[in-house]
Amino acid sequence: MSVSIGTKAADHADAPAVVMRGITKRFPGVVALADVTLEVRRGELHAICGENGAGKSTLMKILSGVYQPDEGTLEIGGVPARFTGTRDAEKAGIAIIHQELALVEDLSVAANVFLGREKRTALGLLDDRSMHDECGRLLESLECPVSPATRTGGLRVGDQQLVEIAKALSLDASIVVMDEPTSALTESESARLERTIKRLLAAGTTILYISHKMDEVFRLADRITVLRDGRHVRTVNRVDTSPRQITSWMVGRELADHEFRQARTRGPTLLEVRGLTLPWPDHPRGYRLSNVSFDLHAGEILGVAGLMGAGRTELLETIFGAGEPTWTGEIRLDGKPVRFHHPREACDARIAMVTEDRKRLGLFPDLDVAGNVSLCSLSEALRGGFLSRRREEDLVAGPIRDTGVKTPGPHAAITGLSGGNQQKCIIGRWLLTKPAILLLDDPTRGIDVGAKAELYALIDRLCREGLGVILTSSELPELLTLADRIIVLAEGRLTAEFARAEATEQKIIEAATGG
Amino acid sequence: MSHSHSSHKPVFLLRPAEWALVAAIAIAIALTALVDANHSYWFQPLDSLRDIARNTALLGIFALGATVVIIAGGIDLSAGSMIALSGTVCATTMLALAPAQMMGFKPVGAVAVAAGCLASLLVGFLVGTLHAWLITAVRLPPFIATLATLVGLRSFARALCESTTAAFTPTKSALINISDPFFKTVRDNVWIPVAVFGVLAIVTWLLLTRTVLGRHIHALGGNEQAARLAGIRTANVKWFAYCFGAMTAALAGLFYMANESVAAPVNQGRGHELNAIAAAVVGGCSLAGGVGTVPGTVLGTIFLRVVIDAVSKIIKTGADVYEGLIVGIVVVIAVTLAQVGQFAKGGRGLLPGALGLCAIPTLAVLCGAIVSMTAGGRIGIAAGVGAAIFLSLLRTWESRRSA
Ligand SMILES: Nc1ncnc2c1ncn2[C@@H]1O[C@H](COP(=O)(O)OP(=O)(O)OP(=O)(O)O)[C@@H](O)[C@H]1O
Ligand SMILES: [Mg+2]
Repeated sequence: MSVSIGTKAADHADAPAVVMRGITKRFPGVVALADVTLEVRRGELHAICGENGAGKSTLMKILSGVYQPDEGTLEIGGVPARFTGTRDAEKAGIAIIHQELALVEDLSVAANVFLGREKRTALGLLDDRSMHDECGRLLESLECPVSPATRTGGLRVGDQQLVEIAKALSLDASIVVMDEPTSALTESESARLERTIKRLLAAGTTILYISHKMDEVFRLADRITVLRDGRHVRTVNRVDTSPRQITSWMVGRELADHEFRQARTRGPTLLEVRGLTLPWPDHPRGYRLSNVSFDLHAGEILGVAGLMGAGRTELLETIFGAGEPTWTGEIRLDGKPVRFHHPREACDARIAMVTEDRKRLGLFPDLDVAGNVSLCSLSEALRGGFLSRRREEDLVAGPIRDTGVKTPGPHAAITGLSGGNQQKCIIGRWLLTKPAILLLDDPTRGIDVGAKAELYALIDRLCREGLGVILTSSELPELLTLADRIIVLAEGRLTAEFARAEATEQKIIEAATGG
Repeated sequence: MSHSHSSHKPVFLLRPAEWALVAAIAIAIALTALVDANHSYWFQPLDSLRDIARNTALLGIFALGATVVIIAGGIDLSAGSMIALSGTVCATTMLALAPAQMMGFKPVGAVAVAAGCLASLLVGFLVGTLHAWLITAVRLPPFIATLATLVGLRSFARALCESTTAAFTPTKSALINISDPFFKTVRDNVWIPVAVFGVLAIVTWLLLTRTVLGRHIHALGGNEQAARLAGIRTANVKWFAYCFGAMTAALAGLFYMANESVAAPVNQGRGHELNAIAAAVVGGCSLAGGVGTVPGTVLGTIFLRVVIDAVSKIIKTGADVYEGLIVGIVVVIAVTLAQVGQFAKGGRGLLPGALGLCAIPTLAVLCGAIVSMTAGGRIGIAAGVGAAIFLSLLRTWESRRSA
């Protein structure tokens, strides 16, 4: 706890904001970081790039006191520091937005933002009003429409991410670490965050920024550090490099461009949605979805664009039988009207859904990697009525290879995998069920560029074999690369439909915001 | 990151934490053998073994049920009352079918015995169903649903006992004596409950590790929302888990009734639910759900019973006064030892801050009081002072280390 804040500014005015020297961190079975040295200048935005599992989050967790390094030293503003917990790091002026959201679901947004640092009145009672107001101001600066009094658990993952960001900003830290802050945000929310970042930089804040979105990195960063397999590859000025070069440093080889321009052949209609309306009681809008109609064909990828809260997730959940059962309208599967009351029924009808919020809605922390992947196809791992470890290993080997999960073995703990690799496991789980219709709710959230390309190729291949896919994404380029058609939702209504040839980012954004 | 993953891999069938329990059991037995002034482990090894085996088997049967419920992410507080109800249902069924024989302390016949036992298990199934319904349809938290049945079932059992005795015997009573030879045989042959426990343990182990249902139970306990979205019928899985919990308690209730030769709804099985939960927790179950093993629970049960037996051997008179105290201490120590790695690595301290400071006198007084009640005042004071000194040194060492 040898952090002194008072003197540092005077004595070390021109010292770098952060120096991490020779950092090594081991976990059982993996060396997450090996002798990494990182120097961050004062007031710069320093981006950190690397594949899933490269060690980016681990490095940032060491900087923010979550983990202690096995070897190596830390200097903050020229002063040697040793953090034994996140509080120490906060005292030294470091705030972190974690990749995995860690909010208390039953508390209000304002209570979460000030958790552990609650404001008090003169009498020592909780000063809810001032916390509410300040939280409101923070959210407003992020242009987030959520009220500070909302229960956090009721928010979608994108809004939760904004709350995490507000929480970090409320610390008024001089160094802010952002670990994939935009992974669940759509373009326009990301744009708001970017404005906030520019404001912070102008005020002299130093920012460490992790993202798999290259365009973001290249718009914002002053310098970029690339990590590969826990090692420092290099640190360069943004102006001296290109996304292509960064990617090749990340993966250690040149990456072939995947092009899917070769048209897929469209098969028969799989799914027809007619006049789908999902009421939203106690809300001024009155509906979450209103009169949405579209078709999905075999061998086709249908993209669903829209801002956060536009109803993308609700649409997929309703089709999957996982949402509120109060919807009206008609859903026809292979021409027959269906109404699923439980996801089980949808699974039996060969529909699969990769959920948006992996930690809350997808991951089983107590099952190992194999258990997480095989969960929906356990009947294939049976021998004589009992689960066979061997069969299960054989079963999951395919999807683990196809999706490129980086894991020490099928029986490793899933919580030990990096965020992107956890996501790949969940996609693998559903591919294993050999669905006819695959619902993907922002499936590449947190997946690195290389793996994304591989995943696109995989989805493309499955589509050519007759799979129908509905895909939502927080990244428009992803929709534009993958989708054959794109429908746009705005505030629960379908406002536009584009064939791939006519779709542009501009048109989609207009349809998503204009309504 | 709540638990370290390296300790989850089995080494020769058991996980490291379970081997530690085996060692703890061996140490407890060895200590008792040495310290006990009567040396009963030396002179009456069979009697001692029989005692421990019977108690372990009876507790173990419904601790397995508690394990399944806890892994599924729930809790069943009603097991003790279910034990009482089970005995009462069996006894009242037999009384209704063969009142003359019951009152004359004569054999009631195989049909009445079978009907009684089946009725008990059926009631177990019904109670489990009630729990699952309250939890999944009415959406009560498991703690509240089973708290309601904890108090409700015992009083229901008593009412059932009194109204049945009023109807079939001359006097209303809250006790029904059992003298059928079948139950005498069960009482006098320890291997019967032990065999039932053994078979049940193997079945439960297969269920949890080798079946789809077992995997779904783990998934449900680990992340309920995700389990539903993975197409698991979570309500049905819970239904199974609570029925399994209540039916194992019903089975144990039959053994308790046989053992005590009486169905006594007022007192039978009182507080036993906490022992079952304690055994599961000592064996490595997490009350957050998703985590736990059958070997762990079996070892946890043995350990608990061995320690209770050790104390009764060493203290002799009035040892049952201390049973609750011992269970409490054992649970705290076992769960602390399971995370000893984290303390040793230095991430956390045992006595941090102002809370740690206040904990020192608290623990020292507790230690001194327990020792002086069992071993005399002087030794007690010495033990208290000793504990205070030890804890202060520990705290000093910890704060040095983190500085
Ligand atoms: N708590 C942990 N226990 C075991 N291994 C871990 C733990 N945390 C991280 N690791 C391992 O350390 C390595 C680096 O993980 P890290 O989370 O830092 O990757 P990342 O670069 O942030 O990846 P992503 O882009 O997927 O978020 C991985 O191999 C991961 O499996
Ligand atoms: Mg990460």
